[in-house]
Amino acid sequence: MVKDNVLAPTPAKILKSENMTEIEKHIELEILDKEIAKNFVYKPGQFVEVGVMGVGEAPISICAARKKEDLLELCVRKVGRVTNAIHRLNVGDILWIRGPYGNGFPMEKMEGSDLLLVAGGLGIAPLRGVLQYALSNREKYGTITIMYGIRCYTAMLWRDEFLHLFYEGDKINVEFYLSYEDSSDRQCYELQCERSDRCMQGVVTRLFGLKEVEPENTYAVICGPPIMYKFVIQELMKRNFDPKKIYMTLERRMKCGVGKCGHCIIGSGKNIKYVCKDGPVFTYWDALNTKGMI
Amino acid sequence: MYKVLANENLPAFFESLKKIGKVYGPVKVRESSYDFREVESLSEVDLTYTRTMIPPKKFFVKPKETIFDFDEEKLEFKEPPDEEVKVILGVHHCDINALKILDSIYMDETPDKYYIQRRNSSFIIGVSCTPDEYCFCKSVGTSYAQDGFDLFLHEISRGYLVRIGSEKGYELINDNKDLFEDAKPEDTEEFKQNEKERLEAFKLELNVSGIQDMLGLSYEDPVWKETADDCFGCGTCNLVCPTCRCYDVVDYVGLSLKSGERVRRWDSCMLRKHGLVAGGLNFRPTRVERLRNRFNCKGSFTDGSLSCVGCGRCTVYCPAGISFVEVMKKVRGEL
Ligand SMILES: Cc1cc2nc3c(=O)[nH]c(=O)nc-3n(C[C@H](O)[C@H](O)[C@H](O)COP(=O)(O)OP(=O)(O)OC[C@H]3O[C@@H](n4cnc5c(N)ncnc54)[C@H](O)[C@@H]3O)c2cc1C
Ligand code: SF4
Ligand code: SF4
Ligand code: FES
Repeated sequence: MVKDNVLAPTPAKILKSENMTEIEKHIELEILDKEIAKNFVYKPGQFVEVGVMGVGEAPISICAARKKEDLLELCVRKVGRVTNAIHRLNVGDILWIRGPYGNGFPMEKMEGSDLLLVAGGLGIAPLRGVLQYALSNREKYGTITIMYGIRCYTAMLWRDEFLHLFYEGDKINVEFYLSYEDSSDRQCYELQCERSDRCMQGVVTRLFGLKEVEPENTYAVICGPPIMYKFVIQELMKRNFDPKKIYMTLERRMKCGVGKCGHCIIGSGKNIKYVCKDGPVFTYWDALNTKGMI
Repeated sequence: MYKVLANENLPAFFESLKKIGKVYGPVKVRESSYDFREVESLSEVDLTYTRTMIPPKKFFVKPKETIFDFDEEKLEFKEPPDEEVKVILGVHHCDINALKILDSIYMDETPDKYYIQRRNSSFIIGVSCTPDEYCFCKSVGTSYAQDGFDLFLHEISRGYLVRIGSEKGYELINDNKDLFEDAKPEDTEEFKQNEKERLEAFKLELNVSGIQDMLGLSYEDPVWKETADDCFGCGTCNLVCPTCRCYDVVDYVGLSLKSGERVRRWDSCMLRKHGLVAGGLNFRPTRVERLRNRFNCKGSFTDGSLSCVGCGRCTVYCPAGISFVEVMKKVRGEL
């Protein structure tokens, strides 16, 4: 093991690997080198470079709050070479990881406020970490509102977890809203019948029609496909949100994660940013000052 | 500290460099085409060269390199052995300043081990130059290397006025005392006169005052589309730029499928794949966005200096004849 080399990954054993949908797997990893595990401290919104030797590496968000020193949870969607290779592995196999990278969400700064988490599709993965963190420090945060947009029932990630919140969340001051795009989806339709105040057909921004959000005392946290940001931000700006209280996490091509390979650079002369090390979490204020961010 | 190296001592000086490590210097490879190559004797080197096509960055950020060999079975990987000491003779002011920009990227809070090893085991000797019609380092503030070298040779009639830039540089002089003498008033006078003439010789100028804001304000300017219409998207401008350092990573597997190597190699932001992510989404889908990104990246500040050192290479070697300074002048509304 080469410890002084930022490009050197460390082996992690797959403890659990569960198909959540046809294309998304939830993977639990154990970092084998306990010395490294001790220092592998991460916060919601950070990511790791996950590698399969002989295939390559891909940046993947950590999708759970840190509970045990050597454990790490990821949700991987298979879309290409590396992610397909990850999907082919089984419990007991090894993944090579490095990180944690990126700035993550400023959980301390958001203390004392309500949280509005808006996620589209796979974007729920990093926000699940935020949610878990806030729930394990429940007294530090006000109402937690989750707006989760999915394509259809079968594409819903962590279905049991989130359906539980859908029904029972109010008991712990968590309001869970769901939108689904496929208008012929029977199961989602049933959810809507049960709670039309919490579930709606359409894109995720429609959920703003169901919930009065209070801009003064709320931090918004957004993650989803690139196209989603503009529309969610429109809704928030209509409600006079402070651009500095809107956090979003961005996706770009990444090859290093440590500000070297140059792929994730955005912006213009005045304001050049590396998504991997200056982000991936940025505020809408950053986006207003950095060309081409969203 | 300043010394003088007289012309007659040059061959002995060259021999003393060989004791430090392998010597590389600018070699004429074709008519007006130079490259840093390993050299055995002084006669192979042309210290009056204009510019090499490939900048000395190639010694530190390699065109292609193995970052490690892995053996999946044994859960092991091995880094390649450290590189031997290199003496790089005849580096121009702009290229030394470019290395300092690379330093600020590769030696930041997540330092790159490979880069640092090579940087630490290199001995850099600068040499003074005369600007041609493509040089504009004076405009971007990189026409003089304050530091970032071990020795710097400024040509004067009886040899070179030598500036010492590091302890290693001092040691070399100390070990070869008989080759060096103290600078006389005439030497100093000549050095000053030469510098004056050099600075007056610049033909090309680029005003960089406020360039960052002008780039920001010109994000939607037609200049990007107009320039992109001429551009072939070949990436030569990245290849020859002393501060371009984007890299791609690829894995190769051995026959057993359980061992192999991870390799990184130069990449180019002018190529289509640079901004492409899985699923086919491209954050810089056309040459317009790619070109704009390149100019914005070069026009940005890295550690207080511009990321362009005005070496002129991207203009000289662009097959489409796109001039860096001209594009920037259009951005400024001067053309
Ligand atoms: C900060 C961040 C967090 C992410 N979190 C997750 C997550 O939690 N779960 C998940 O499934 N996906 C996540 N992604 C997307 C994931 O990184 C890509 O889907 C993945 O890199 C695709 O790799 P591939 O080899 O399978 O695809 P290919 O299309 O074969 O890509 C080849 C290579 O290009 C690069 N590349 C391609 N697409 C991307 C991309 N979108 N982002 C960065 N590099 C890319 C990678 O180096 C990749 O290995 C995240 C991306 C970023 C930037
Ligand atoms: S060298 Fe010229 S033609 Fe090639 S990508 Fe650069 S600007 Fe375009
Ligand atoms: S942008 Fe062009 S002129 Fe500037 S340093 Fe790079 S190659 Fe030289
Ligand atoms: S991923 Fe390499 S610089 Fe950001």
